Amino acid sequence: MRAAKFMAFRLSPELAPYLFLSPFVLLFLVFGVFPLLFSLYLAFQTWEPTSGLAAMQFVGWDNFAFALQDEWFWKSLKNTAWLALASGVPQHLVAIPLACFIHSSFGSLRNGVVGAYFMPYITSTVAIAILFSSLFSTDYGLINVVLSGLSQIPLLGGLMPQHPVDWLNDPDTIKPAIALIVFWRYVGFNVVLYLAALQTIPKDIYEAATMDGASRWQQFWFITLPSLKPMIFFGVTLSVIGGLQLFEEAFILTGGRGGSDQAGMTTAIYLYRMAFDFNDFGAASAMSWLLFIVVALLTWLTNRLFSTKESHS
Amino acid sequence: MGQVSLQGIRKNYAEVSVIKGIDLEVQDGEFMVFVGPSGCGKSTLLRMIAGLESISGGELRIDGVRANELRPADRGAAMVFQSYALYPHMTVAENMGFALKMAGVPKQQRAAQVGRAAEVLHIVELLARYPKELSGGQRQRVAIGRAIVRKPAVFLFDEPLSNLDAALRVSMRTELSRLHKELATTMIYVTHDQVEALTLGNRIAVFNQGHIEQLGAPMDLYHRPANEFVANFIGMPNINLIDRPDSASAAHLALWEALQGSATVQRIGLRPEHLHLAGQGIPALVVLAEHLGDSSILHLQVEGVNGLLKAKVVAGQCITGQMVCIAPDASRVLRYDVDGRLMESGGNS
Repeated sequence: MRAAKFMAFRLSPELAPYLFLSPFVLLFLVFGVFPLLFSLYLAFQTWEPTSGLAAMQFVGWDNFAFALQDEWFWKSLKNTAWLALASGVPQHLVAIPLACFIHSSFGSLRNGVVGAYFMPYITSTVAIAILFSSLFSTDYGLINVVLSGLSQIPLLGGLMPQHPVDWLNDPDTIKPAIALIVFWRYVGFNVVLYLAALQTIPKDIYEAATMDGASRWQQFWFITLPSLKPMIFFGVTLSVIGGLQLFEEAFILTGGRGGSDQAGMTTAIYLYRMAFDFNDFGAASAMSWLLFIVVALLTWLTNRLFSTKESHS
Repeated sequence: MGQVSLQGIRKNYAEVSVIKGIDLEVQDGEFMVFVGPSGCGKSTLLRMIAGLESISGGELRIDGVRANELRPADRGAAMVFQSYALYPHMTVAENMGFALKMAGVPKQQRAAQVGRAAEVLHIVELLARYPKELSGGQRQRVAIGRAIVRKPAVFLFDEPLSNLDAALRVSMRTELSRLHKELATTMIYVTHDQVEALTLGNRIAVFNQGHIEQLGAPMDLYHRPANEFVANFIGMPNINLIDRPDSASAAHLALWEALQGSATVQRIGLRPEHLHLAGQGIPALVVLAEHLGDSSILHLQVEGVNGLLKAKVVAGQCITGQMVCIAPDASRVLRYDVDGRLMESGGNS
């Protein structure tokens, strides 16, 4: 009897997969697909959320036209591009040789060293902002103290600023300060990527290159770098996407307003402000889709740059 | 020229000695094979000659020049690796020309030299391809081509055929023999496969635990193995090693007598092809009969004898479980003393 009752509640094999998949699908629909489509819908509406959903009005391409004529939007794009380049390029230029160095040295200490470099990546952005706010502090910050010390050294002193630098409030220095933090935060992540790729290069290829007369530098240039190419593509793509969506570090360091003269305002910060400070959700959505187009274009360009005859064959 | 001279060569890893003083003269144009079980040090020695491993003691001379401290590329040796070790992101032509590029040879000259080597190996049509587009055999040819292009004094082969299937291994073996004749360059070849050793080598060095057990021509090693290790290692199926009887087994005593074992002989070696079936003789039980088509390998139990004896006989003569009589060819026996060393002539051919 009990068995029969149990059987009565048994799901049919046709339905079971859908039921098990449904939690993910439901969450994905609510928190993934819906906001995506809603933002696309909003991009063509004018809407002040405090007036309720009924206040929405279709405005066609007006939001996009507004965004493209908005000086601050272009400025935010330029800031974002500057920060992405200034923080992204050094990340890889440093991470590749650093990964090679860690790969060939350190022995049993290797994991500890990698862990140390990876630590900033898993540290809370707020903690990082507090740390760097203190380092960049005008009067008592360690960076200004060091610069002041260096300015006492003959010859070198001439290159150093003569007064304490107001790193986070001066429009000329806020961007380098943010770029430095982003670089510091993500370089370890890239080191881990490149270390993983380095471990897949067979040792005997280096031995063959040694037999062929390649020096250490030639081995790096002709063997290591080409072998790392797929991972460089992956890492650079992540940096392009992450760099163009830069938000947290700049948001916290500039107090959420983009800094003086909007010098530290990234596109992500600006569209956040457009929505939540200026209550223009339509324009913010249009800007986010324009940013998406830029990200997609640059990712495609990266792909084109890294694809070769070899990878097509 | 391609003369390689090893004098007292040793290799230590911390306290562990893996190569224990090797003395060896490889003549110009010779095909020398290093053979031995895994971990015997044969590959390590090859890598020491190549310069990929440092030399802890002794002297290595290539063409009369001390090479211990020379860079691998300056030793005049080219190596073919077991895994081929081709550069995956370079075409076949780029792979083959890489050493020349590193040596600063102009592009045109490089292309000409690569082209010539490709012709020798019949891989001209593969030059524009990448390693991943090649079969195992083709990759091996490219790896050999990469070595040929450098025009080395010595070719070093580290188990180059191990990754190929059985059929391809046979054809590449023939190819290597052809190449050796064509190039007339010194080749040192490491393998654990005795068939490769016996078919390819002018001389074979049998390695065991970091030293050479015996050095000689392939057939000398087969017919006159200097000790039990070599006797056991060379030959497939393995040689029969029969202990002096210490039991009262009549069959064992009769076998010992038939083998003409004397009082000083500790053990007698007899190749399976020299143990025959006979109408009368020593009784033996066929524990297993392996039929190979042209012949059969019989695994025989003789009362009182430790382990099974092997006999290679004409195919299809016996079946498993059958009782047979065996008779050894006494003119072919190899007598070993208490230390396992060959005592005197056993009547080799």
